[in-house]
Amino acid sequence: MTTDEATKNEGEVQAAALAERGEDITPAQDRGVLKIIKRPGNEDESPMIGDKVYVHYKGKLANGKKFDSSRDRNEPFIFSLGKGQVIKAWDIGVATMKKGEICYLLCKPEYAYGSAGSAPKIPSNATLFFEASMLLDFKGEDLFEDGGIIRRIKRKGEGYSNPNEGATVEIHLEGFCGGTRFDCKDVKFVVGEGEDHDIPIGIDKALEKMQRGEHCILYLGPRYGFGEAGKPKYGIQANAELVYEVTLKSFEKAKESWEMDTKEKLEQAAIVKEKGTMYFKEGKYLQAVIQYGKIVSWLEMEYGLSEKESKASDSFLLAAFLNLAMCYLKLREYTKAVECCDKALGLDQDNEKGLYRRGEARLLMNEFELAKCDFQKVLEVNPQNKAAKSQISVCQKKTKEHNERDRRIYANMFKKFAERDAKEAASKTGIEKEAEKAACEKGLKTPESGGQESEGHV
Amino acid sequence: MAIDELQAIIQRCQILEEADFRGEDFNLFQVAGQKCLEDGYAAQLLEVVQNEKNKVVIKNMGWNLICPLVRCILVYKQEDDKREHCLKILDQLVQLCNAKELFLGLLEQIEQTSGEQVCQTVMLLLQPLQTVLFKLQNKKAYSVGLSLAMIMNQLTPLPVPYTKQQMQEDKLGLCQCCNAVVDFAKPFVNEVVKSMEKSSECNDMELKEELLKFCMKSLKYPLLTAQLEQLESIEDHPFRRFATEIIGILWDMREFIPLVFLHHKGRSPFWENEEFEDIERKNSADSLACLAYLMFVHYFGIDCFPMVFSPSYLLQRNMTHIEVLLKRTEESVLSKGLDLFESSLLRMEDNSLLHHYLEFSDFITVPQNLVKVMTLCPIEHLRKKSLNILQLFINKFDAEGKYTLFRCLLKTSNHAGVEGYIIQNIKDQIHLSLTKVCDNSWFTGHHLISLLDLVLLLPEGAETDLLQNSDRIMASLNLLRYLLIKDSEYDNQTGVWTMLAKIEQNFLKPLHVGLNMSKAHYEAEIKNKKENRREAHNSNTVCSVTVNGEKMPAMTTEMQLQVLHSALFTFDLIESVLARVEELIEVKIKAV
Repeated sequence: MTTDEATKNEGEVQAAALAERGEDITPAQDRGVLKIIKRPGNEDESPMIGDKVYVHYKGKLANGKKFDSSRDRNEPFIFSLGKGQVIKAWDIGVATMKKGEICYLLCKPEYAYGSAGSAPKIPSNATLFFEASMLLDFKGEDLFEDGGIIRRIKRKGEGYSNPNEGATVEIHLEGFCGGTRFDCKDVKFVVGEGEDHDIPIGIDKALEKMQRGEHCILYLGPRYGFGEAGKPKYGIQANAELVYEVTLKSFEKAKESWEMDTKEKLEQAAIVKEKGTMYFKEGKYLQAVIQYGKIVSWLEMEYGLSEKESKASDSFLLAAFLNLAMCYLKLREYTKAVECCDKALGLDQDNEKGLYRRGEARLLMNEFELAKCDFQKVLEVNPQNKAAKSQISVCQKKTKEHNERDRRIYANMFKKFAERDAKEAASKTGIEKEAEKAACEKGLKTPESGGQESEGHV
Repeated sequence: MAIDELQAIIQRCQILEEADFRGEDFNLFQVAGQKCLEDGYAAQLLEVVQNEKNKVVIKNMGWNLICPLVRCILVYKQEDDKREHCLKILDQLVQLCNAKELFLGLLEQIEQTSGEQVCQTVMLLLQPLQTVLFKLQNKKAYSVGLSLAMIMNQLTPLPVPYTKQQMQEDKLGLCQCCNAVVDFAKPFVNEVVKSMEKSSECNDMELKEELLKFCMKSLKYPLLTAQLEQLESIEDHPFRRFATEIIGILWDMREFIPLVFLHHKGRSPFWENEEFEDIERKNSADSLACLAYLMFVHYFGIDCFPMVFSPSYLLQRNMTHIEVLLKRTEESVLSKGLDLFESSLLRMEDNSLLHHYLEFSDFITVPQNLVKVMTLCPIEHLRKKSLNILQLFINKFDAEGKYTLFRCLLKTSNHAGVEGYIIQNIKDQIHLSLTKVCDNSWFTGHHLISLLDLVLLLPEGAETDLLQNSDRIMASLNLLRYLLIKDSEYDNQTGVWTMLAKIEQNFLKPLHVGLNMSKAHYEAEIKNKKENRREAHNSNTVCSVTVNGEKMPAMTTEMQLQVLHSALFTFDLIESVLARVEELIEVKIKAV
């Protein structure tokens, strides 16, 4: 008997055993997914919904033919549990597994690829057999892939829709810092405006990924918490890490952009502009960005406006871009600030604030020349602008400082090179120089040209 | 004679040390060598180059001959002996010359070529270039990258053969050339693979990065524009072969899964800055879309793809790519977008796509793009296909998803034909809800009423252009007629009977007014035309229409009359259905 046949038979035996003795793990108890544990897990710990899980698996069709194996790829398969990323049988089956467990799963087509199959490997109405092993620790879900908000879901919500920005939510929350509870309340508010209730921005952001009835734990980094300012009211220091337990009791969604007509958008724009300005004055820049961002998302791509509407829309957009630029300056996101200024200047090329803020952003990005140009343009528009004048002298000063620093660095460098070149020159033939000259004329970079190497040494 | 001059220089240099060669010697050598080639003394030159005594001279000066040599080879015919000699000279130079200068010499030739000669030149120089790259001591990865980038840049302006005939003919040699370039890259790929096998961390990151760039570039050009359907009677489809090779390279370098799966490269050591990553992501959008197309439509590399993903998740991942492709206008790219969309949808069962997917913005924008293709694309088979796909897309959603999608499309399509089509779909869904046992709250009761509010009205009241909107109006009337017949006012499952007054006000009344106005207008116009027919035979046309740069012949009065009559016919049709609807309402109301 060849090994192929051996494994095939083994597979059949396992499938038969599963059909006979497998435990039905479907919520509906319809024998759609049957499971036998081959090796129990070491620890009594199951993954939570949304956790990143690492699984090695082998999949076979009913006829014993292997259709896929993570071992062939030499790396475990990683996915977020309970999110519909994988076939239903897997979301159900893997959720029952413990760390280190190895099990067999038999999956009816309704819990796999159904009548449609999955070309080219899975035929229509195929029952699938899996051997799966759970590896490693599970990691909570990194909501924005920056490590700033980690979520672990204690109880899954119903349905699939999430509150969007501007939705009205009712939640229960408990906030912890360093093991002590500092906040516990039931509260109703608009997503993006949690700050009005002393709720940090991270909760607003996380709510947009939660479902009705969901109960979860959120680990917030300082950026998504109360940041540098801290929260004296709760006795929270600067840059503290926070833990929240949140239950989303109910919510009502805000309208999507395509559901609103132009009139509505313009009316709302006036309201959110006010709100944005309020946040800005309080120094809540992230919250202000959300409000101003709404104006952009509603109006930037709006077509077919009447002349009057278009005027109103442009003035809202201009204000939004200018204010966004200001927020981003405060948030030290200078590239975004420049982008917003560019857009504002696209609407009004001589806008004084737009030019000035772009200058500021560029100055902070060490682009002195460009910054100077911007401030000079400000003066062309308004010769009385004293701030711009003093900024120009700052630019000049910085350029000078910068040049001097460069000169010092290069002076050292050139000295070194001069010494090395002298050594090399002794061994270098005239021919090579000739070749390099030719190469320069061709406009090609010599792969070993002196300039390139020198950069490496700086 | 040129050959004598050359001999003279060489003899003078033979006795010198390498270090003593002077600039003018190089010039003289180049001029004389070039002259030899131009005068047809390739055989003699070959002897010079092969002469053992001249080895040192050739090593240092030989690279100067590359330029005239390439020019000659391209001019001579295949069977010409002189071509054969030139090729041997080239061989000899590759063996003897300093790698660095030779590399630059070869690259320069590739950089300078253009038009019809690009593929010929590239194919001629690939082998020498490869040999030289292996001899290079330093900066090999950089040089390999530079070579590949230069070659691909030169190829990119060339048109990609699209039909079977064009591919077989391969007039510019592009098909052949692409595959030659892959063969050129393979030894370097093998180096990377070997170094990866030795340790889990790849030591040759730089070389790998360069090869990855090449693969991404290849996916964008030529593969994105190429025809990749399997063709009968072409056994070795050049671009399918090319695609297989490229995907093979990605797989061997273990970058395939990260690319299709995470939409970005496994590791990018050079771009620590997020902004650069963004730029790169934008640049690679086309390549990634092409990769998804190759895998899901043509199953390239599907063996390596995990078979546990849910079909909805795959659709969601592919939506990004579909959007990229559907925004384009070229037939080759557009049809790839449609194929990818279709194949992603065919993996799903009807009614299985949950409405919450509509919260991903591309699930809203892609159908809008699809509508654009349907209404604006000049290529008929693509228009038809996109309509089929829209229906397929609708079918896959659950009831709430269909409901939301209908609302969205009604509000955004701006095209009476599409609106009519959506209204037809709404009717089908209502029919299913009324006839099936299963509960379907989205196409009955208060949800339906708010949807009908969007349907049963004239967009601009009585002033609506009825002709322009006839598709929509007919569909709406048909839907209303269906509701009145199917749903008894006692059950009133659809709620239509409660909203009758509103329908009268927003739809039926203005429609009556509009019909009367339009009919009167068109009838008057016909009368006018008929009266003027005799007098104004050679009347001045008010405006002319050009299509595709060709001026359309002016309409004759007969043609104009025909159009006017067909308009009247449309109004009659609308009127008859309207009459039927009003009859139904009257009967029921009287019966109460």
